[in-house]
Amino acid sequence: MTATRERTPRALLGGKTAVVTGAARGLGRACAVRFAEEGADLVLVDVGGDLPGVPYPLGSGSQLEHTAKLCRAHGAAVVTVTADVRRPEAVEEAARQTLERFGTVDVLLNNAGIAAPSGKAVHEIAEDEWDLMVGIDLTGAWRMTKAVVPAMVRQRSGSVINVASTAGLVGYRHFAGYVAAKHGLIGLTKAAALDYAPFRVRVNALCPGSVRDDPLNEGRMLAEIARSLEVDVDEHEEIFVQSQPMNSLIEPQDIAGAAVWLAGDDSRQVTGTTLTVDGGFSAR
Amino acid sequence: MSRSQARSCHSLVIRVPGPVDAAELERRLRAGAAASWPEPAARLRLWEEALPFTADHPAARRRAAAEAERPLHTEALPLRAVLLRYADGDADLVLVGRHEVTFDEPRFTFGRTSGAAARQEVAAPPEWGLGDPALAGRTGEVPVPLPAAVRTDDALLTGAALLVLARYGTGRPVDESQRATDFLAALRKADGEALPGIALRIDAARPGERRLPNLAPAVPAELHFLRHEDGTATGVLRHDLGAVAPVVAERFAGHVAHVAGQLAEDGGRTLDTVELMTAGEAEAVLRLGVTPPVGSPEAAGRTLHGRFADVARQRPDAVALTAGDTSLTYAELDARAERTAAGLAALGVEPGSLVGLALERNADLVVTMLGILKAGCAYVPMDLRYPQERLRYTVENAGASVVVGGADEPFPPIDGVRVVTPAELRTLGDGHTVPAQSEDGSATAYVIYTSGSTGRPKGVVVPHRNVAALLEATREDFGLGGSDVWTLFHSSAFDFSVWEIWGCLLTGGRLVIVDYWVTRDTDLFHELLVREGVTVLNQTPSAFAQIVEADRQRPEELSLRLVVFGGEPLDVRMLGPWFARHSHTDCRLVNMFGITETTVHVTAHTVTPADVLAAGRKVGAALPGWTLSVRDPRGRLLPLGVPGEICVGGSGVADRYLGQPELTTERFITDPYGGGRIYRSGDRGRLRPDGSLDHLGRLDSQVKVRGHRIELDEIRNVLLSHPAVAGAAAVLNHDTPGDSATARIDAYVALRAAVSTTDVLAHARGVLPAYMVPASVTELPAIPLTINGKVDTAALPAPEAARPAGGRSTDPDAATGEAAEPAGTLDGEHDRLTEQILGLWGHALNTEVTLKDNFFELGGNSLLVIRVLREMREKGLPKVATQDFYRNSTAGRFVELVRDAQV
Repeated sequence: MTATRERTPRALLGGKTAVVTGAARGLGRACAVRFAEEGADLVLVDVGGDLPGVPYPLGSGSQLEHTAKLCRAHGAAVVTVTADVRRPEAVEEAARQTLERFGTVDVLLNNAGIAAPSGKAVHEIAEDEWDLMVGIDLTGAWRMTKAVVPAMVRQRSGSVINVASTAGLVGYRHFAGYVAAKHGLIGLTKAAALDYAPFRVRVNALCPGSVRDDPLNEGRMLAEIARSLEVDVDEHEEIFVQSQPMNSLIEPQDIAGAAVWLAGDDSRQVTGTTLTVDGGFSAR
Repeated sequence: MSRSQARSCHSLVIRVPGPVDAAELERRLRAGAAASWPEPAARLRLWEEALPFTADHPAARRRAAAEAERPLHTEALPLRAVLLRYADGDADLVLVGRHEVTFDEPRFTFGRTSGAAARQEVAAPPEWGLGDPALAGRTGEVPVPLPAAVRTDDALLTGAALLVLARYGTGRPVDESQRATDFLAALRKADGEALPGIALRIDAARPGERRLPNLAPAVPAELHFLRHEDGTATGVLRHDLGAVAPVVAERFAGHVAHVAGQLAEDGGRTLDTVELMTAGEAEAVLRLGVTPPVGSPEAAGRTLHGRFADVARQRPDAVALTAGDTSLTYAELDARAERTAAGLAALGVEPGSLVGLALERNADLVVTMLGILKAGCAYVPMDLRYPQERLRYTVENAGASVVVGGADEPFPPIDGVRVVTPAELRTLGDGHTVPAQSEDGSATAYVIYTSGSTGRPKGVVVPHRNVAALLEATREDFGLGGSDVWTLFHSSAFDFSVWEIWGCLLTGGRLVIVDYWVTRDTDLFHELLVREGVTVLNQTPSAFAQIVEADRQRPEELSLRLVVFGGEPLDVRMLGPWFARHSHTDCRLVNMFGITETTVHVTAHTVTPADVLAAGRKVGAALPGWTLSVRDPRGRLLPLGVPGEICVGGSGVADRYLGQPELTTERFITDPYGGGRIYRSGDRGRLRPDGSLDHLGRLDSQVKVRGHRIELDEIRNVLLSHPAVAGAAAVLNHDTPGDSATARIDAYVALRAAVSTTDVLAHARGVLPAYMVPASVTELPAIPLTINGKVDTAALPAPEAARPAGGRSTDPDAATGEAAEPAGTLDGEHDRLTEQILGLWGHALNTEVTLKDNFFELGGNSLLVIRVLREMREKGLPKVATQDFYRNSTAGRFVELVRDAQV
């Protein structure tokens, strides 16, 4: 823990400030830590508690602080913000704190999202279930973008990364809300890319396939999808491994690597695109 | 944006001993800000970071420094407070504020200035900075190593910085004859001192705090001193890495410290005795400019004919020369040269004499050159295209009693000078043998005349061993050998030919002699390169640009493996299309900076595609055996990066200027640093930390036009020698900025009698070689001068095209041209072909062209000829030989020439 890495100017995100939502655990944590490794300072946003209607525990405040600690170990300066992406005031406060603390905002990773309530056919989904899913997975990303992008436009640089899913590319049985939200997120990505291209602010989507819930990042996504489908997690993993031609699950690190590329200047001409990291799943 | 934000903020780091009560600290900060900043104070927050290392860990310092350099957002509060809590309980409080916020840290109160600090102009990067533009916006920091015992005051620190900047050539000049105490006393009285390009700030030091007056230097470099209670000071130099490289910053800080130390130590000394560099640093800078000799010291001291004889013995049957259909083997060349030498002896020419050489580029030129050397004499090459008066001056100045001239183009008669042809010499030599000459490498090999600012060319005397050393310096690196094919492209009066001829013949290669008209026609020359399988090519950058163009359009493969650029500065960007077709590993491109006075070349830099992107002015490090240094106008050694006069020492330094002892003493000096002779080149340059040189142009009015070295003062003096000219100026212009092919010299005259400018031009044409003749002469009431009495080039009007003063119809040349033109085309309707040609000419010459105009009088030159011919071909017009272009250079005649070719 006491080993602090010398931050070199060659770091891919050196000097940048990144806002990561859903940062308490899972992909959000993996990306945040990787961003820190690459020299970024971080604003870590998470709801930090359970939400009514979501049938599984969400990231907690202590998990968020743990992500912060992991980032600081890489030399990053970190601010943690507890905010529900459905609440405009909370989202705006997160954006304001980012500028107060760091003076700049260069990367926004819209990662906050839920996978359940799911497991129902379209006509079985309740009104509030639909609103909850779309409100977090799609509207939450729009709201964060709305709060953060004006500063990026003023500084004429920035990269917004929307974490979608292969469910943004194809349908899945009994996941209509999730699939619709993620398809919508890709649509939002393309439209926002066009809105902000003149200001050199880039907006891209990242589509992970099935990502392992590794214990280090305390991910819950795969488990929740399995539960929604009423199958055993191990069995579910097996099904997904078989569906991905590279014959393995995606690791959180694989997504973090793609996110670093989209966040950094190596992708400076990339906007409005969808980067799929799915072991070949969508190539079939 | 963040850069200007950084410039608008300052910061303070205060060490807070543990245990730290963050909530109490936040309360005190808010209370402290409330008086001056009531609204932000209420929202002020203490940001906390718990860090996993102790306060004395190096990471703590880095982390606090990074935090102290983090600018505020334009819309954020004017003050930010961050508490870095370390693992041992201590903390650093980092305060960042906009300039209007003042910190009074003991009470944690924050004042208010009347407004933002005056907006400073962002100064251009200093020439000495050697910064990396890719790093612009990043800040570096080096300590100023002031001697610990030195008691300083503000004047001393300011004075040290002033003197250093003056020596660097970017500050205001300082009178160095004054005593240090007087200098400092005047500064104490002065009300602040502006330092160009540098900000200087001196604060009283306070224990336990670190202050940044600007988060990013508002100027390329910022000196910040802290004065301590005991009278000593510490300082740092913070610099923008885009403007000032770390090594240069470190040296600069060192110089300020060293100078401050000397000023403090002895107030009675005059400033000119103050050293910028320590002895150790000066020695290191000198060493950096030295490249030790390679190869054989014995071979490097020999004569050209001696070394040639060795090669001829080793490979008698190898072809040495190709000229058109004829070729000579090494044995044949050797034998013919022997006869030539014998002929000279028969004429009574003594060894040690200078012999004029005025031949076209053909086999006889090389045979005779070698013959002259074999006779123990030195050759004085002259270009037959020069005006007679210049040729005559050269022969008389050299004191040559014999000139070898061609049978077809006779040399102008000069009293007491015998002109013989190569054939006559050989006949004279039949049956005679040459007395064996001693191998004296210090004997003169040739005298080449270069443009002289007094209005007369000056002869540079170069000994054999200089050329031999040049070969030793390059032979191995360039892999020169028997399988190479070289061209002799350049006039023997231009010293690039020395390299072409002897570089080839002393390494056993084959020298292809390029006919004058082929050198003027890129297509023909490209064909020759392909046909002869030329492997080593030497070109001026402007000429090579034409080859790059031709090469793009032709399918044939070149065999080139080495291209050497010389004669003028290389703009590497033109090589982009070349590298797109040729790998730099197959064909090496070497940029060589050189001067006639230091034997053709001084440095070599292999150009890569990366250089094209960087678009720098690197000419490389000194050749093995040559030395480089950069000095100020008083001859003092300058530090790395600082531009000054390029001085060249070592194996290439010529003997002298012929018959000009004063000029020789002025330019060829004994090096005050460690002895040896060095040549003060008059070229401006700076030395890089890797020992390579950047060439930055001239200190005087010398210019380069298509490889020709021209003293504008020479042209000016020739103009002034016309009886009616009262004042004159000559300037270099480009029709298309940045396009060296369109370089032209324009002249301005103030006349005291009523003569036409055409008359003045005719006078210049009678004395100056064609490449020096102005493209225009414009009459002015008086030549505008600057305050310093120099020609104020900015005040000169646009040049008028060189047209006769009395109107076109009276011009005899135009009248004859008119007679040849079809009636009715002059000012009336032009046919399509005429329109096309006039359009092409007009485009190339950047002016309107009529049928009566002469291409060369409108500023045309050899490169523009090539350009027009190429554009004609692209438009599907018939091919015209370059030679015919020169012979039909009025538009009317040229149109008819093309019309005839169409049929």
